[in-house]
Amino acid sequence: MCRAVPVNELLERASQHSDKLHTLSTTLTQELDSHFPPIGRVIMPRPAMCHTSSLQTPVDKDQALQVSESDLMSLARSLLQAWSDPLVLLSSSASALPHPAQSTIFNKIQEMQQYSKSLKDGLDVLSSKMGSSAQAITSLPYRGGTNLGQDKITKLINFNFLLSCLRRDSHKIDSFLKVLRCRAAKMQPEMC
Amino acid sequence: MACARMVKHLGLPLLLLLLALAAECNSMSPPEKPDKLGCRSPDKETFFCWWTPGSDGGLPTVHHLYYKTEGQENMRQCPDYHKAGSNSCFFSKTSIWVEYTVIVEASNALGNTSSDPLTFDLMNIVKPFAPENVTVVVNIEDSPHLTIQWHTPSNIDTKSGWVTLKNQLRVKPDKSKIWKNYASETQTHFTIYSIDLGVVYMVEVRCAIDNSWSEWSNTTFVKVPNFSRKDNSFWIMVFSLCLIPLLVAMIILILKRKTVKKYILPPVPSPKIRGVDVQLLKSGQSEDVINAMLLNQRFPVMIPWKDQKEDYLIVSDKETSYLPLEKKKIFILPLAMTLDSEVQSKETSEVDHFPKDSESSSEESSDKTESSQLLTKCSSANVLNDEKANQLKGVTEKIFQPFGISGYVDIPRHEHMQEADYSRVNEVNGDNILIMKKENVPHTLDTQGQEGSVPDNYSMVKEVNSDNMVFLEKHSESVNASFKAKGYIDWVNQKPKNLHMTGHSEMGVCPQLVGCEYVDTVPPPAVI
Repeated sequence: MCRAVPVNELLERASQHSDKLHTLSTTLTQELDSHFPPIGRVIMPRPAMCHTSSLQTPVDKDQALQVSESDLMSLARSLLQAWSDPLVLLSSSASALPHPAQSTIFNKIQEMQQYSKSLKDGLDVLSSKMGSSAQAITSLPYRGGTNLGQDKITKLINFNFLLSCLRRDSHKIDSFLKVLRCRAAKMQPEMC
Repeated sequence: MACARMVKHLGLPLLLLLLALAAECNSMSPPEKPDKLGCRSPDKETFFCWWTPGSDGGLPTVHHLYYKTEGQENMRQCPDYHKAGSNSCFFSKTSIWVEYTVIVEASNALGNTSSDPLTFDLMNIVKPFAPENVTVVVNIEDSPHLTIQWHTPSNIDTKSGWVTLKNQLRVKPDKSKIWKNYASETQTHFTIYSIDLGVVYMVEVRCAIDNSWSEWSNTTFVKVPNFSRKDNSFWIMVFSLCLIPLLVAMIILILKRKTVKKYILPPVPSPKIRGVDVQLLKSGQSEDVINAMLLNQRFPVMIPWKDQKEDYLIVSDKETSYLPLEKKKIFILPLAMTLDSEVQSKETSEVDHFPKDSESSSEESSDKTESSQLLTKCSSANVLNDEKANQLKGVTEKIFQPFGISGYVDIPRHEHMQEADYSRVNEVNGDNILIMKKENVPHTLDTQGQEGSVPDNYSMVKEVNSDNMVFLEKHSESVNASFKAKGYIDWVNQKPKNLHMTGHSEMGVCPQLVGCEYVDTVPPPAVI
């Protein structure tokens, strides 16, 4: 008789995935910053311009701890879903990125796509165990088009901007899942 | 009056001018722009910012920090300038995933100067402090290991899951340049087993929130002792206690090595030649060999012959003799010497009956004793030959090595019993007494070619009557009866001859080799 994997174990695996996603995105931004024109920082769009900024998420710890598990799961899934298309764009842009660390960046983008896909599948399974509200996904379409710019600077700036948005959103997902994990592991405080 | 009024009118601007001049001479200026802004959140909840003030322009300068979050329009002032130290601002209430903009303004009497703005997200400035109370315990009882413990930095909320800490530590011997890193996920203790004795180790620990690592903690030095004193003395005692009985046993073994050797490797009985010194034999020199043979020889007491009648026995060496040619080889003494003392003694006991029994006959009592001795030796030799011909062959071959002679005398095996000629038995008296018929028997027994009526078997002679009546005695052994009789007769008749030839008595018992030759002198009678 097959025993279903308990929820806290699923959450543990999910949070490991999200942690990896966040680490990758952080490394990517640092790599890009190593050879970034200073002017780009000035004219870079603000994070409020991220395509996922319309999603209402808690802004501090107290707020985050008050969100229900289902809502936390829903937020995480929505954010994850919002990045499936932009990642494709990032991948295609990275293949021809005018940057000295282009190949490393490209490989990391590929890795992120894999982790993102497997995390999405895992969260689908988890949310099915948590009720219908957990399964609701807010649609956050990316409207940035199919390429990041015509010239080198614009490309780099837009690439950097997308990466910063991705870094924030991956951090959100990671934080939500870790809060969920801790709540599910009430029997095992060492999980937190 | 006019001068006073002039001074009054001129005074004030002059004063101002002087002041202005004075001010310029002192180079007072508005403050320099504050520099090196930084902000850090050690716990993902609060954060603090710091700056480096520029020169104050010679005037008392005040610094103010202003911030705003994205979506706000107005700058707000720092809520707390003191908690985080001088030139810092502490934020207890924060927002995450929003962009902050922070500016520091320096102002003095002459003006304000603002720093460059710093924009950040809380998640970007998260960096915990290094772990506290790092303790390293050295333990070398079982296998040497280091037990390292530490505390997470204070004020970090891990219980709600908002913060997840990862830990990492690194260790290196103080003389080495390479650190060895170990990952410890959420636990705040760690054990390292691969350490060497007698080395000073440096240990450092750090932690991370969301993959943002703290600084390394202050280095902790530990010295791993060379050995455990308690262990060492214990083992020394055990070692010495075990060693003493071992030494004693060794000494005893050495002192009694011969006994031990005898016990462990009992001497294998090897065939010994009575009276032969094997060591001398081995040395190989002929003189020594001969001496070896002769050593401890107990020669039979050679009593000078008393006058007696001498009978000569003619021994011829014909082809038709019973014995094949090779059997007439010299009966070398060693052959006799190789006789087993057992056999010898056995035979002697047997043969000794002869002289005892024959003592009754007056003629040859003394002779018989002597001759019996000779007989003893030779007949036993003969008997031995007959009984153990094969064995003897083997033995003689060995002994003959020094001589290079492999002669032997082979006794024909008479399968059939040589029976006495009972044709002339007159009557049987008692058990084994045959009373023979009277007949003419020549005195000198021709050992050769004698045929006919002479009875062969004298072994059972008990008493010889004057008119040729032979009283046979009971004898248990009948197989070799014939031989014994013959031998007896032969030797009786040959003894004087033998005596003269004792010059070559190096060989021992049978003084004359030739004399010891076994000769089947009386062929079996045709009657039988």
